Amino acid sequence: MRKLTPMTRAAGILLLLMLPAPIVIVFGASFNGTGYIQFPPESLSLRWYVEAFTDPRWGRAVLTSLWIAAVTATLITAISFLAAYFTLRYAPRISSWLELAIFSPLFFPHASMGVAAVALMAGMGIVGTPWAIILAHLMVTIPFSYRPIHVALKSVDPDLIRAAEVMGASEMRALWDIVLPICRSGILTSLLFTGIISFDEVTVTMFLIGPDITTLPVQIFTFIQDDASPVLAAISTLSVVITFIAILVLERVAGLSFFVQRQSG
Amino acid sequence: MNTGEKPTAAKALMLLPALIVLGLFFTSVILLFSNAFVDRGGFSLKYFEQILSRPDYHVVFYRTVLTSIVVALLAVALAYPIALVLWRAEKNRNMLLIVVLVPWLVSLVVRTYGWIILLGPKGFLNAFLGWTGIIDTPLKLMFNDTGIVIGLTHVLIPFAVISILASLLSIEENLEEASRVLGASRLQTFRTIVLPLSLPGVFTSLMVIYLACVGAIVTPLLLGGITQKFVGSQIYQEVMATFNMSKAAAWSICLLTLSFVSLVVLKLIERRALRGQE
Repeated sequence: MRKLTPMTRAAGILLLLMLPAPIVIVFGASFNGTGYIQFPPESLSLRWYVEAFTDPRWGRAVLTSLWIAAVTATLITAISFLAAYFTLRYAPRISSWLELAIFSPLFFPHASMGVAAVALMAGMGIVGTPWAIILAHLMVTIPFSYRPIHVALKSVDPDLIRAAEVMGASEMRALWDIVLPICRSGILTSLLFTGIISFDEVTVTMFLIGPDITTLPVQIFTFIQDDASPVLAAISTLSVVITFIAILVLERVAGLSFFVQRQSG
Repeated sequence: MNTGEKPTAAKALMLLPALIVLGLFFTSVILLFSNAFVDRGGFSLKYFEQILSRPDYHVVFYRTVLTSIVVALLAVALAYPIALVLWRAEKNRNMLLIVVLVPWLVSLVVRTYGWIILLGPKGFLNAFLGWTGIIDTPLKLMFNDTGIVIGLTHVLIPFAVISILASLLSIEENLEEASRVLGASRLQTFRTIVLPLSLPGVFTSLMVIYLACVGAIVTPLLLGGITQKFVGSQIYQEVMATFNMSKAAAWSICLLTLSFVSLVVLKLIERRALRGQE
């Protein structure tokens, strides 16, 4: 099986090309001059982009999503790093328990998680504030942040830390000069991956928005339900571009091998 | 990287932020249960009776489970050839991986919106087929179960590709070579070596996709319309339209139970499949 049969290969490539199809369609529709989709397209124009950029609601939603993604990614990466560092270095015995707890949100259907999140945030009186969204995103992203960091930390040779500390380095110094550089790609993977998840999250977030705050995907969702104006195609394209750039940066700075590693240990 | 030292209490504080996040999560689950099972200060099954006594709601559960099974099987079947191509494409794998990752990570709403443009009554596909003269009246591709299945399958294929690819990449090359040297045909090698060893990835995909499907809201709501109710869209309505948190919580717990039972069944099937492997 060094080579696939031509049939399998052709089928695989064809299916692969189908994956980005709806995104390409959205991209095409965003340059359509008429107010509805037609084939063949009649005129090209940038009017939907002009409309998207002049409507302050979209600008606000984009900025909100961006800063919530940045805060979520930074916080959850720091939280996961501290937890993984502590368990791996000082308490390896609780490691599997902690992992069980951290991965448990993965087994929760998102619809149930959304309702649970509303119940919690309503109890705390913060529905409709950015904090509700950020807290929910922390719960959604923690497994995706913990995994790459845990894998990276596991590869650190304890002798390196011992050597540094024997030579008189403080724990902080050893962390900063030895552990962090070794874990660089794990940390960057966590930052970018959770940032992307937060930026694009919709199923849980839509329960937590309020009159003062909404995120980009949730606002797109609301607008699709009201009227599907082609301005949505323009704004969706913008959201795709942001995600795409983040993935390219991830590939550059940390590589993509994390995604295809068999989950072991 | 365990250095064998005993932790001090101050150092254990490093766990605190993670414990707070997990604590909030588990608190939210407890609140979910208390919302569903408590009525006017006492234990009550009222909200569950309201749901389980209605035959039209049985249809909603039935549709959700059936659709999710179909989507999970379809997504894995379609993802497998893609994973094989990526597995064999050693040089361009990173580039191809990006073609898979982008559709996976781009927001669900955007991808579903793409399907609306494609499948809608005045959508691209109908406009194209009308233009070529193949059809006179637009095909009904959306606002029915077909639309939901197409949308959900497409949304979830990328995950299956990644998970199956991870399994394929962990297969030792020697195994295949040995099989070839000993005279096995290409198909035999696939059937006896590659396929069985990729099963863990297949089962992970089935599980994750099934879970994502039963808990989906956006895709069923947008592609299924108001008549083709899903458990997720029902939950969304209870919270956002009728503001009945207790009933929404009861729905959510039914959904949780449903997923849990399904996972156990799937685990049993997996164990069987993997046992027959020696």
